[in-house]
Amino acid sequence: MTRPSDATPTSKPRSFIANNPSVLWFLLALALFTLGVTALSEATGSGVISTSFVKTLGKTLCLCLIAIAMDVVWGYCGILSLGHFAFFGIGGYAIGMWLMYARTQAIVVENLSASVIPPTPAELSDAIASQIFGVVGASEFPAIWAFSHSLVLQLAMVVLIPGLLALVFGWLAFRSRVTGVYLSILTQAMTLALALYLFQNDSGLRGNNGLSGLQNIPGFEQVPQAQISMAFFWASAVALGLGYVMFAWVLRGKFGNVIRAIRDDEARVRFLGYHVESYKLFIFTLTAIVAGIAGALYYPQAGIINPGEVAPIASIYLAVWVAIGGRGRLYGAVIGAALVSLLSSWFTGGGAPAINLGFYTIQWTDWWLVLLGFSFVAVTLFFPGGIGSLFDKLVRRSS
Amino acid sequence: MTTLLEISGVSVSFDGFKAINNLSFQIGEPELRAIIGPNGAGKTTFMDIVTGKTKPDQGRVLWGDKGISLIGLSESRISREGIGRKFQKPTVFEAQSVRDNLAMALRNPRGPFDVLFYRKNAGGAARIEKVAEQIGLSDALERTAGELSHGQKQWLEIGMLLAQEPRLLLVDEPAAGMTPAERQKTTDILVEAARTRAVVVVEHDMDFVRRLDCKVTVLNEGSVLAEGSLDHVTQNPEVIDVYLGR
Repeated sequence: MTRPSDATPTSKPRSFIANNPSVLWFLLALALFTLGVTALSEATGSGVISTSFVKTLGKTLCLCLIAIAMDVVWGYCGILSLGHFAFFGIGGYAIGMWLMYARTQAIVVENLSASVIPPTPAELSDAIASQIFGVVGASEFPAIWAFSHSLVLQLAMVVLIPGLLALVFGWLAFRSRVTGVYLSILTQAMTLALALYLFQNDSGLRGNNGLSGLQNIPGFEQVPQAQISMAFFWASAVALGLGYVMFAWVLRGKFGNVIRAIRDDEARVRFLGYHVESYKLFIFTLTAIVAGIAGALYYPQAGIINPGEVAPIASIYLAVWVAIGGRGRLYGAVIGAALVSLLSSWFTGGGAPAINLGFYTIQWTDWWLVLLGFSFVAVTLFFPGGIGSLFDKLVRRSS
Repeated sequence: MTTLLEISGVSVSFDGFKAINNLSFQIGEPELRAIIGPNGAGKTTFMDIVTGKTKPDQGRVLWGDKGISLIGLSESRISREGIGRKFQKPTVFEAQSVRDNLAMALRNPRGPFDVLFYRKNAGGAARIEKVAEQIGLSDALERTAGELSHGQKQWLEIGMLLAQEPRLLLVDEPAAGMTPAERQKTTDILVEAARTRAVVVVEHDMDFVRRLDCKVTVLNEGSVLAEGSLDHVTQNPEVIDVYLGR
């Protein structure tokens, strides 16, 4: 791009990418990673990377997406939400309802096709319902499954329910000027309440059984999992790329300055004439929607969602990832989420060798959380910029 | 000179302590006014009431030509009405550049979507340069606000007020912690600003008030004790008793 006059570069509006070189670098790295995995996967490449590991990587990309949302709400706007996994879980449940309904419907229709008299729609519906809700002793569709037959409507739910919940919750909390640790506690209470509700058998979402079989995509029964997992991996990568660009765009320029100013001195921003509550609500709701989308992409790869996923601890992990990766830097959140969640599955999955101290053997499945806890404390105390701040140092040295 | 802000019969108490007691006075436009008084006289509480931080128990606070009531409006709304406030402690956004600090303060639509789709433009840049010149920070525009000296931070905050283009500026102890040279410059900035708008300065330092050379209101125990020129109020025996004598 050529600019006709470069006399006053600071006052001239420049293109978005030129002002945010990290966006370009991030997209480049993400594209290389995605192509690399594609070339090594079972479905489309040499097969070095197993299908189950492709799923793990795809899920990790979804976790990176919710991590950048968390970074925006916490690292940039200063709202330490400890409830964003609730929105992630809602997104997962919303898509899971359609996946379960459509797949069960296909099975039931096939089973009944052998019978002489074709089933009435009511019989069909009852048969599907008793298939899905048999485990919790129910045989009728609860009201919240009203739209589960429609992929489009359930996809709308992925966005609408987290968005509306965040809007109402945020409006109540921010309007009352609840801030700091009290707001964190309130968001914990929200996600705990949701988890407890979902654990009930009569919640209409199969209690602690959750929704399962989500890896089977209706209409694609003949397609092997290797290819389905690749498709979701790609979708997750695209979602992460788009989410990154969108947040970088939102936080560019004056809006980002106001958001950071709210984090640093909320009262002062008010006296500048900005309605702080509206800005917080905007950020809270937008990040909740992104969290919902991330969840909707995550759970078809995980195959199952249950209420434990929205337990308060999940949202606390999210804060830990962002803190270790580096608050206030979008790429920091991505690094933190990817590194810690992959390490976590390596340690807890028995991948890490146990350490024999003679008198005691360190089993990482038990000690990983202790290690993570120490890392979190160490980063917070000695390394507040997190891993992402290393890049800042590199950039500063090179310039 | 027309009345811009009219405070009448305002009282507010915190836990039984009357911070403001039947306070009444007016500010004209344009006008430079100094408010002095001993600690606890209610100077800061007065600013809190005008800017919407504190709601008075009774009384009226009327604003502008139409005399709208400021009581019950949010801080941000009052700010948009044209009242800017500078705090005692310099409060600028230290992590951001001087330019960004001023850009945020510039008078522009303040809604989230207005700001989200706001594009930097030459007009805004020119306004920022002009304000920076007024406060003597033209060379520091790209610096991080946190790196500035104490005095420069105070000026930056005054600059942010000027960028808001308010009709009334409330300035709380602008000269605190400044060197004599910095004080002189602060005086010049405030006197210049008061040519076109109302400026209310709360200050402890008598020399500073003398240099402002304006009408003085003396507060004590939450109400007006005396009002007039500095020489006039300093000869008032009550004022000498509660404030100057100590």
